Amino acid sequence: MLITSKTDIERLWKQQNFKPNNNQREAILHVDGPLFLTAGPGSGKTRVLLWRTLNLLVFHNVKPEEIFLSTFTEKAALQLKEGLQILLSSVKNETNRSFDLSKMFLGTVHSNCQRILLERDFSKERVRRQPPVLRDELAQYLKIYNKRYWKEIVESAEFADEEDAQRSINQYLEGKNIASRHSAVQNVIKVFNRFSEENIDAAKVQTKDPLLKQLLKMYRHYRQSLIISPELQEVDFSLLQQAAYNALLEYPGSSGVFSHVIIDEYQDTNPIQEKIFFQLAAGKKNICVVGDDDQALYRFRGATVENLVEFPQRCKDYLKSSPRRYDLDINYRSRKHIVDIYKHFIDKCDWKKEGGKGYYRVADKVIKANSRDALLSVIVSEKDKAPNVYKEIAAYVKKLKAEGKVQDYNQVAFLFPAMKNSARVTGFLEAFESLGVPVYAPRAGRFLEVNESKAIWGLLLKIFGRPKYDEMSFGLQDFNRWIKDCIEYADQLIESDSLLKEYINDRKQEIETVVGDYEILLKLASRRKWDVKTPALPAMIDEMAKNPSISLRAKKNLNNHFFRKSLQIKQKEKKPFSLEYVLRRVTALDWSILDLFYQLNGFRYFRDMYRLAETGLDEGPVCNLGLITQYLSRFMEEYVAILTAPLLYEDKFVRIFFASYTYALFRLGESEYENAEDPFPKGRVPFLTIHQSKGLEFPVVVMGGLFRKDREASKVEEIIRHISKKEGEPLDRISEFDNMRMFYVGLSRAKNLLVLPRYKGPAAAHDAFRELFADTKFTTIQETNWSAIPEAVLDQEDLGKNYSYTGDYLNYRKCPRQYMVFRKYGFVPSRSQTMFFGNLVHKTIEDLHQLLINERKKTTV
Amino acid sequence: MMTPQKIEERIREIFDENYELLRLEGGHALTEDIRNYALNQVIFYYKKMREVAEKVTETEVKLSLPGQRTPKGRRFSIEGVVDIVREEEEVWMYDIKTHDLDFVLANKELYEKQLNIYGYIWGQLRQNQLDHTAVISTAFPIALRRAWQENDFAKAMYEMEKWNPLVEIESDPKNVTATISDFAAIVDDIEENKFEPAALETLQAEWGSSGTKFATRVCRNCDARFSCESYRRYVLGTGEKGKASFKKYIEDIAPESDQEEWLGASLTQTDFDNL
Repeated sequence: MLITSKTDIERLWKQQNFKPNNNQREAILHVDGPLFLTAGPGSGKTRVLLWRTLNLLVFHNVKPEEIFLSTFTEKAALQLKEGLQILLSSVKNETNRSFDLSKMFLGTVHSNCQRILLERDFSKERVRRQPPVLRDELAQYLKIYNKRYWKEIVESAEFADEEDAQRSINQYLEGKNIASRHSAVQNVIKVFNRFSEENIDAAKVQTKDPLLKQLLKMYRHYRQSLIISPELQEVDFSLLQQAAYNALLEYPGSSGVFSHVIIDEYQDTNPIQEKIFFQLAAGKKNICVVGDDDQALYRFRGATVENLVEFPQRCKDYLKSSPRRYDLDINYRSRKHIVDIYKHFIDKCDWKKEGGKGYYRVADKVIKANSRDALLSVIVSEKDKAPNVYKEIAAYVKKLKAEGKVQDYNQVAFLFPAMKNSARVTGFLEAFESLGVPVYAPRAGRFLEVNESKAIWGLLLKIFGRPKYDEMSFGLQDFNRWIKDCIEYADQLIESDSLLKEYINDRKQEIETVVGDYEILLKLASRRKWDVKTPALPAMIDEMAKNPSISLRAKKNLNNHFFRKSLQIKQKEKKPFSLEYVLRRVTALDWSILDLFYQLNGFRYFRDMYRLAETGLDEGPVCNLGLITQYLSRFMEEYVAILTAPLLYEDKFVRIFFASYTYALFRLGESEYENAEDPFPKGRVPFLTIHQSKGLEFPVVVMGGLFRKDREASKVEEIIRHISKKEGEPLDRISEFDNMRMFYVGLSRAKNLLVLPRYKGPAAAHDAFRELFADTKFTTIQETNWSAIPEAVLDQEDLGKNYSYTGDYLNYRKCPRQYMVFRKYGFVPSRSQTMFFGNLVHKTIEDLHQLLINERKKTTV
Repeated sequence: MMTPQKIEERIREIFDENYELLRLEGGHALTEDIRNYALNQVIFYYKKMREVAEKVTETEVKLSLPGQRTPKGRRFSIEGVVDIVREEEEVWMYDIKTHDLDFVLANKELYEKQLNIYGYIWGQLRQNQLDHTAVISTAFPIALRRAWQENDFAKAMYEMEKWNPLVEIESDPKNVTATISDFAAIVDDIEENKFEPAALETLQAEWGSSGTKFATRVCRNCDARFSCESYRRYVLGTGEKGKASFKKYIEDIAPESDQEEWLGASLTQTDFDNL
């Protein structure tokens, strides 16, 4: 029986204590045709998505597998899924129907793209396809930054040499005549990704611009180099989307697979994503987009807010149909004064199009606060020199905690336009430090500059030695200073821990030993005129083992019975080991760089950090240690997993690990590159960029900085306009628009209290803030009426979380600490053969079953 | 319809593709030996369990039990994944394990708990009532492995015949309530950041019915053992720590055979010429 009457869903609303406002209700009940939802900050967007999906599933008999729902982050997808599960379970009691949500395409655009490339629904034969291997941002960077690869790609575009290429590219794209390979690589990556996201076919572009021609050649070379074999290729994040789009075009039925396509955070989607969405929705025309143009943040990653602003026109173009629009315009998050202020703020910019035809914004939406609390909730500091402002605000935060207005320091967020090399960040850090209030700001400097990184890299430098440079560029001087810092830090640790001292010496000794053995064996080989590339004969190995000068460990390795046995087997199979292989094998260290990390963690300095986390006292340091394992394991994946004497010999390892890999990380750390989702450890005031705060809310928000310069549009933007011949926001206003939107996002994160600093001096505030301070009355910190500030309630996990039986329950039961380290903080285990083995067998058995299922289907048809 | 020979050929191809994919994704490798062993687990599974394999109707079935509450009032859902399900005549649910049958038999309780709760969720989620649950262990017996390696076909056939990889698990609904309430209490502990290591006594005792101590089976394979107070006390005792024993403790990376496997795999994985 089909339940269609509205009263049924209304009964559910009542049961769940949900009282939608009119627009929410209309949005939820809308079923047919395109739908355009503008959603202001805190307007209950997630709830609307939740109930709308439930309405489709329960009251309109749409199957889960017919819904494509894409969110901006994995976290958002998870939240939606968990929320749906809970609502559906209450429905179950009423209707006795159950829904398998795993069949729904619910995830980020990227994960949904991966699924499109995998699923049988999108191929004619319903056969399984080999999905492309994904290279994430860091892997993409390391691939192109690789010296050999870079030479290749530069040659493909006929530059004179690498330096010529670097200078030309940096000059062209950044206006800087610098020879840095790092900058050039970052610059070409930006261009490549935009080419991919704009679906540009490099072979077809007509241009007279010689440098653009060269960039296009490089792009073609890059694309070619990602093909591993006819069946297997690599993709970066941008190309993943292109691959999915192409798969949809190839499969004629692709527009009929989903009856509903729903896209959240639509203001941050890019052109290729738009193509994907409209292609998927072409059949049933049920596309629903949700977003807020005022909160568009990701132009620098290729997003275009026009997708949202121009959505009604795009619907007409693609679907020949106009969308229904509803504005989710009532804010349930913030107190009224906060809402008034950010509304007032966004109007400080002129959004009218030239010639007066319309706006670069969905200008006719009107955000209203649900709260009627008339008390002032936006507070300003005294207008003063910056150091005094830092002190005043830090003391205020301490008092908020003391007065019980917040229960934990992690309820007060400090938001900054940018955090790297920011004087504001440093100023606040110092102010908090002198008050003894802990802060969590892993993005403040480079991640490599936090104490945990300095300690680990410092100890590694003590063990392996430091890279030596003849000449130093500006970037290298900075890096060299960091190296010195790390070594000094490590020296202090070693001085205060005699066991650590001994351990470090033992490791150094070990390296000397294997390198010594290697030299002796090499000499022996050359005396005997053995070619290291030729097969190693047992007689050779016997002779090596008998050499009186080699160490006991080398002797033991040469005579090791596992080794001897595998040697025999290989010989029998006529695939004998080469002498070179044998030399590597017998001089390999027993430990990898990650093993070393875990051993170092056994010393007092690090052990104390684990103890703090085990009892929930302070998670900060262990979070950082977890991040370090990710960087170390990345090195092992991209470069080398095992340390052998030929590598340790003549500092080759030092060059690869420190001078190449660590240096790349160091340079990447200068940009806001590291803007991953950071945790909010208990007991600490979080410092984050406004970008990181997207989608979050905090009881108290302090805007740490109010200034960002309006700049010219980037060269990449110009190039794309030139090639794609698209119109858009005027190039000379892009930066102003983006800055307004960014600050708007920051201001609208606050629930109870928003604190604004009033600095004196340069870069004190963006013009819009200057005007705001001039025309609006604020309460100062000193005038604070403490009784008027509501107490922050601990985050209600109103939707509940998912816990896996094996991943969470069984692992925690086995050992809570092991669970914490690997599951909660994401430490990368050092040895994972067993896991690899299990995954391989499981995956192949699964594929076997799918093969058998398909075979059976064929015969029954 | 593909012949069994054709299917085996496909298994080899799929296996190679999967190996390559996982290797590229994770940056790890296996030695040829271990790789062949893994491939044979799949092939032998197909040879031995063809009847089951050909009746499978669904793989990787995600199960979810929403609407749970912890003792302290937190909401949560329980999730699990079942490897294969077969829904003709009788409904079967199978969990595939790559460890050996002896371990499965010795720790039947563990699997009972898991499959009982999966079965319970299945019952809540689908109309089709579950009839049987079972564990399949793909780790074939050593005798079979040896016969295969030595190309002793007759012996291999005999061993294959003898091998029984399937262990049926009894369903017991009483079990489920207890598991859910234990699960709920653990959710509270996780949310409250209670992460003290397993106690020293646990480390000293046998783990489940594995025949080995917790410290050997679990801790020795845990990278975080060097920074763990319980394991440290287990190895070093509580008294004055001699430098020699500390050295031994901190340098104990892996058992020799594991070490050899790691060494062999890592050496083949790395492209030394391209560094």
